[in-house]
Amino acid sequence: MINEYAQVTLFLGAALSTGVASISAGFGEGQTAAVTTKAIMRQPGARDIMLRSMLISQAVTESGAIFALVISLLLLFGGFLDESVDLAKAFSFLAAGMAMGFGSMGPNFGSGFAGSNACDAIGRTPSQHIPVTTNMLIGQALSQTSAIFALVVSLLLLYTVPNMAENQEILHQVVKACAYFGAAFAIGFGTLGPGSGIGFIAGKTCQMIARYKEKQSYFMRTMFLGAAVSESTAIYSLVVAFLLIFM
Amino acid sequence: METMIAKAAALLGAGICMGIGALGPGLGEGYVGGKACESIGRAPEHANLITRTMLIGQAVSESTGIYSLVVALLLIFTS
Repeated sequence: MINEYAQVTLFLGAALSTGVASISAGFGEGQTAAVTTKAIMRQPGARDIMLRSMLISQAVTESGAIFALVISLLLLFGGFLDESVDLAKAFSFLAAGMAMGFGSMGPNFGSGFAGSNACDAIGRTPSQHIPVTTNMLIGQALSQTSAIFALVVSLLLLYTVPNMAENQEILHQVVKACAYFGAAFAIGFGTLGPGSGIGFIAGKTCQMIARYKEKQSYFMRTMFLGAAVSESTAIYSLVVAFLLIFM
Repeated sequence: METMIAKAAALLGAGICMGIGALGPGLGEGYVGGKACESIGRAPEHANLITRTMLIGQAVSESTGIYSLVVALLLIFTS
């Protein structure tokens, strides 16, 4: 009986993971492509540089969605239903999907913003394409850190949750299930703000590096400082998620 | 029985609190950082002043994130 519930939560988790993550990945990549198209219209001579930067940016933005796809495939084909599963374990499948799905939303938005601003900046000053692309990649990597936090929590939910004995009382399992959901909420929504915030900083930094090339070190210093402070809330969320999983 | 349900609710609440509580600070701090970069580009001679203001603003913005962390930890450890 309980394995039928587990099947429902597992399929729901797999669907939520890729479904929700794809919203922001598609949005971010589309924004980058739209901005690049406009920039190529303005400066057709530099189209190769812009196309290359657009593709690099879209590949990095896609990574959050790829993490989510991995979690979905693990859920579907990881053989989790081969043995009988208790209530808490069943709900940990849904929690893992939610953590990864919502958790990659912010980073993907942020990476898309950084990429579209970088492509816009390269369109304005094509001679600055190397420092701008470098800065874009660093900013997107900082932004995707939160998605990696979500991936870690999701994998922990999948592989470290103990399958409790059948005779364990049901209320204890409800408490555990709620804790897993709490962890998914904490890391899922907790990375939304930092991910998109860091992307905003990276995007603005790319614009400024293209415009005032001699001040590059100033801008990068400010970007690192701002990104580090912004990342701290994602780390709080990670700590709370760990506590909820392992307490 | 009631205490177990309360514990379940407290753990779920801790997650929701930290998750949604981190949304605002993260977005706000990122916005401050982006605008600081813009300002330094426009007035590079005031870079130190701008960085200081950015850090103060981010620290104030961070405080709500820390409140969420404290409330989440209280919910986890006192329930």
